[in-house]
Amino acid sequence: MPETTVSAPPARVPVGVPPRTGLWTAYTTLLRWTTAQIGAMLPLFVVVQTLLAAGIIVGFGFLVPDIDTPAARFLSTGAPTVLLMVIGLVMVPQGVAQARTSGTFAYQRALPVPRPLLLLSDLTVWLVVALPGVPVAVVVAQLRYGLRYTFDWPLLVAASVLAAATAAVVGYAIAVLLPPLPAQLATQVLVFFVMLFSPVTFPESQLPEWFQAVHDVLPFRPAADLIRAGLLSDGYDASPQDLAVLLAWCALGAVISVRALVRRA
Amino acid sequence: MGDAVLEVEDLTRRFGSAVANERVSLRVRAGEVVGLLGHNGAGKTTLVSQVVGLLRPDSGAIRVAGADAVADPATARRCVALQAQAQAPLDGLTPRAAIEIAGRLRGMSGADARAAARALADELDIRDWFDRRATPDGGGLSGGVRRLTAFAMAAVAPVPLVVLDEPTNDVDAARRRRLWETVRRLGDDGAGVLLVTHNVVEAERVVDELVVLDRGKVVASGSPGQLRGTGDHDLRLELSLHPDGADPSDPPTDAPIPITRRVRAGRRVLLTLAAADAAAAVAWATALRSGERIEGYALAPATLEDVYLAATTTEETANA
Repeated sequence: MPETTVSAPPARVPVGVPPRTGLWTAYTTLLRWTTAQIGAMLPLFVVVQTLLAAGIIVGFGFLVPDIDTPAARFLSTGAPTVLLMVIGLVMVPQGVAQARTSGTFAYQRALPVPRPLLLLSDLTVWLVVALPGVPVAVVVAQLRYGLRYTFDWPLLVAASVLAAATAAVVGYAIAVLLPPLPAQLATQVLVFFVMLFSPVTFPESQLPEWFQAVHDVLPFRPAADLIRAGLLSDGYDASPQDLAVLLAWCALGAVISVRALVRRA
Repeated sequence: MGDAVLEVEDLTRRFGSAVANERVSLRVRAGEVVGLLGHNGAGKTTLVSQVVGLLRPDSGAIRVAGADAVADPATARRCVALQAQAQAPLDGLTPRAAIEIAGRLRGMSGADARAAARALADELDIRDWFDRRATPDGGGLSGGVRRLTAFAMAAVAPVPLVVLDEPTNDVDAARRRRLWETVRRLGDDGAGVLLVTHNVVEAERVVDELVVLDRGKVVASGSPGQLRGTGDHDLRLELSLHPDGADPSDPPTDAPIPITRRVRAGRRVLLTLAAADAAAAVAWATALRSGERIEGYALAPATLEDVYLAATTTEETANA
């Protein structure tokens, strides 16, 4: 008696290497993922930035008795840089360190996407988190000192984005270069350095000359001066050298971060 | 059975002086579920990490769907869907969104990814949590639902090779069964599945082939039937010893019946014997128990667990 033959349905899985997913699709999909992870915290970040801005603008003001207008202007226009640096150098490395500890970092590196896209989507979301710091600082300074700004919008936007991106990639690089705990310690030290030992909220002329020279090659003073030139365009000019220094740090941070993502142990 | 979707040849990887993988070779063909068994620290996860390009091998070759995974890890990652042993990063996402994202990243259209996500949610019975958001403190979704979601993320798109690292951790018994059915379905759909686990009993039900790793080396491989040894006619006599009690089967020649394999695991002694000797074995074990030399005994068909324990236990004393 002939047996009944049942044929299996055709295989769903194609033979060979699956085609590459489009870069834009991969990027927007990763962005959706990262946004869900970090995005829920966005309102909290804005509150923290407001408190920090108030701490710098109002609190540092107490350190200077009878603060005059030029000092208040300098302090207030340095505050946005401090906020961008805090997000980039503290929040980003903490996020990355946590991702490395929890296995998220390895999980994402095993995804079928070009690994630099992981950095790009992370960076995009951190920029969205960090940039409200600039208007927040401006509003707080306005309320406290009633300053008059002369915005150079294109410069302000470009300088803010570049400063935020530089801080974020440098923070990312620190977090991938060092083990999680030392990375977190290093970033805390960096923030103190930015707040107290960098000519961001006070003029460079108050530092010894050798220290001024150090700050010519670090990203903090150049970032602060570029953003200040965007806020008070009638009093300060943007220097191409500052732009070059900031771009160099941004590139260095990006290279180190991408290398850590791509490299196999 | 078609071509191999994963070929590992002579793979060696060291961490300092510790050898995590030593000349490991294995093969997964399309449509086949291969179990990779081993104790904690046997080198299973190290092997998987090299397949997906997280670690570089010291020597040896890995080919995934024909692509050289050592020279071109980016291409290999497109061919492999991995459910890692660590929980997938789901915080802020619903299972629906997470599964859709995983599908989109593998090039599925939005509509296809949505349909596939819904189908998998039904298959794994997680529709009740499908739109519930996981929160960062481990809230929102239980560990089991997170694990099932991570599994669905690996299973959503058709890829040549699916690697599952302990997929059933935290998952309840009913959904475990569904998960195993889905694993079997992935193979039937034409994917190769590498199933990494230390759970021998569960693996036995779904795998076509088994590879046992112990301290970085392949110590046994073959189909479950082959590994069980002399066919399916062997029996296992399990003796439960008294605490600190002497082992009456040591040496095995003390037993009145031929013992083909003897494994001591704590207070349990597993003896493999031929089915023809069943009556004599029961008589012997009953006498041992009434003499209070053992606490109890059980006679059952030999299982893969016996083979696995024999392959990975150091105090093993085999006797032909």
